[in-house]
Amino acid sequence: MRSTETVRFPKFQRRTLLMSRPFLTVLIVAALWIAASFAKPGFGAFGHLRYLVELGAVVGLAAIGQTFVVIAGGIDLSVGAIITVSAVGVPLVSFAGDESGAFAALITLAAATVIGALNGIGVALLRAHPMIMTLAMATFLQGLLILLAGGSAVSAQSPLLEWLGSARPTGVPAGVLVWAVASTLSLIALHATPFGARVFALGANSLAATLSGVNVRSTTVAVYAISGLTAGMTGLLLLGMNGQGYVGIGDPYLLSSIAAVVLGGTSILGGSGTYAGSIPGAVLLVTITALITVVNASPGWRSILFGSLILALLLVSGRESRRR
Amino acid sequence: MSAAGSAPRLYWPAQRQRNRGVKGLLTVVAAFLALYAYLFPGLISVSGVAKFSQSWLPLVLVSMAQAILMLAGGVSLAIGAMVSLGAVIAATTMAGPLGVAGGAALVMVAGLVTGAACGIVVVRLGLPAIVVTLAASFIVGGAALLILPRPGGAIPAWLSDSLAGETPVAALLVILAVVLWKLYLATPLGLSLYAAGENSVAAYRAGVPVDSARIAAYAVSGLLSTCAGLFVAAQTGSGDPVIGEAFTLNSIAAAVLGGVGFLGGRGAMRGAVAGSLLLSVMINVMYFLGFPPVAHYIAQGLIIVGAVALPEFTARRSSP
Repeated sequence: MRSTETVRFPKFQRRTLLMSRPFLTVLIVAALWIAASFAKPGFGAFGHLRYLVELGAVVGLAAIGQTFVVIAGGIDLSVGAIITVSAVGVPLVSFAGDESGAFAALITLAAATVIGALNGIGVALLRAHPMIMTLAMATFLQGLLILLAGGSAVSAQSPLLEWLGSARPTGVPAGVLVWAVASTLSLIALHATPFGARVFALGANSLAATLSGVNVRSTTVAVYAISGLTAGMTGLLLLGMNGQGYVGIGDPYLLSSIAAVVLGGTSILGGSGTYAGSIPGAVLLVTITALITVVNASPGWRSILFGSLILALLLVSGRESRRR
Repeated sequence: MSAAGSAPRLYWPAQRQRNRGVKGLLTVVAAFLALYAYLFPGLISVSGVAKFSQSWLPLVLVSMAQAILMLAGGVSLAIGAMVSLGAVIAATTMAGPLGVAGGAALVMVAGLVTGAACGIVVVRLGLPAIVVTLAASFIVGGAALLILPRPGGAIPAWLSDSLAGETPVAALLVILAVVLWKLYLATPLGLSLYAAGENSVAAYRAGVPVDSARIAAYAVSGLLSTCAGLFVAAQTGSGDPVIGEAFTLNSIAAAVLGGVGFLGGRGAMRGAVAGSLLLSVMINVMYFLGFPPVAHYIAQGLIIVGAVALPEFTARRSSP
């Protein structure tokens, strides 16, 4: 009995902490913040750092679903499209009797979850490769969006969205609060529930997982549904912060959600990783973007810097063992 | 039995086996082509073929670029950025002192070098291809923006006329690309491509130069992408630093439609070429039927899922 306990909770060692990817990513973020605030006085101000974390919340929310999907051995390329659909879709589903806008938000989230579940069904039942299925879904949604929004920007005002976008209960932006709650829930789901164990098993070896009695189909559908749900939440948050939604609003978040997951130490091959790494990964990404803006370089150099930094960070810590 | 005698006997059955996978796709493509020719009788003429092959050529080049990587067990999210890079290099150099030949050579060298650099990072450093090419898309896209910050530049008019004019040069270029691909497959690097993608460990133990085959695949892929950019620049008569963006996803879509698998070693180049033809014909037909551009996206999404799901269902029925 005691031996299994120690296996589950290995004795604390300083070395383990230093080797842990989430902790390393936090260190990188802290070092960047300290260095940047010396180089540029306004950078380290509380207001600016809070703004960075608020931006990180958008990336981080999208990265929740992406983390689940990547750990389960897949990838979701429709995150950006789902974000756009939910940001543009809110005004379409809002109706007169709904004073707070909560119903419209719930309907949007439900729709986003269903879209995600459809991805999962495609992957699990049609056995389409995740990249193909989610790519096709993204293409499909792109067409649907132009049909819905007609290419123009839509604006939506409701107390709920306003709260999401600008409220600061006790100084913490509402978006960050939502992110914190969602992160806690997803960390619990991933590491302390049977469902989380099944997700890891599925990503490590789907055949072995099937033979061990894991219901691969329902787990896959659930994982993609979670991705749809968090992408929907990202869309609502973006709509609240921007005040209006337009076609293409979610596009940048596809690549940054994948980058946040990978920078956080989750293996793109599946089976290992944690959302605890994606959190600093998301903050790291927005910090890099902010730093590049501070440097005041031309768009070309900014893009080159961003790509090179991601590549450099990968070289430091993102090597994949050649398992397959 | 001598080796020389047995080779042809192995060759044709192998080719037939590869055709079996794309037979359904070829039927659909033929049906769409017939529909297109029925709607637009002008297609069956020299200028009709010229116009159609011009709209198809960039897509077929990027689909081949993506398919090579997928056959070798990789994937690239940087295809679009490479197309933009090729376009801006062509638009800034060809009208200058380097001339058309110098500019074209520079476009090709840029493609080969950038592609090979990606390949070296992926293969030698053991980083996941999807993330490396994602980072590369930012770097290459940034380089394109540096070379030409806003749409501009110029392509000599005679080059635009000869590549994208009334003569079917583009159709000849498609044929040339396919012939060159066949020749590439006959070289040691090309022969190793399938082996490296199918089972890299087994191939390595059998003496196949796995690493060089995969790096060469990345280099050839870069070359094809920047050449597609050159053609796009010639078509529009100028360069645009973000013109290639849509090609990344379309190249994956065409390769997947053609039955090229993500895990390497599965599928054939003819499938990717047919897949790009289907996408291109589909867009033209829908345009002629008066569908709004929206319908293209929806139809493309449905066709991709259908193409993947259909073989799965038929396979399940035949072997339960």
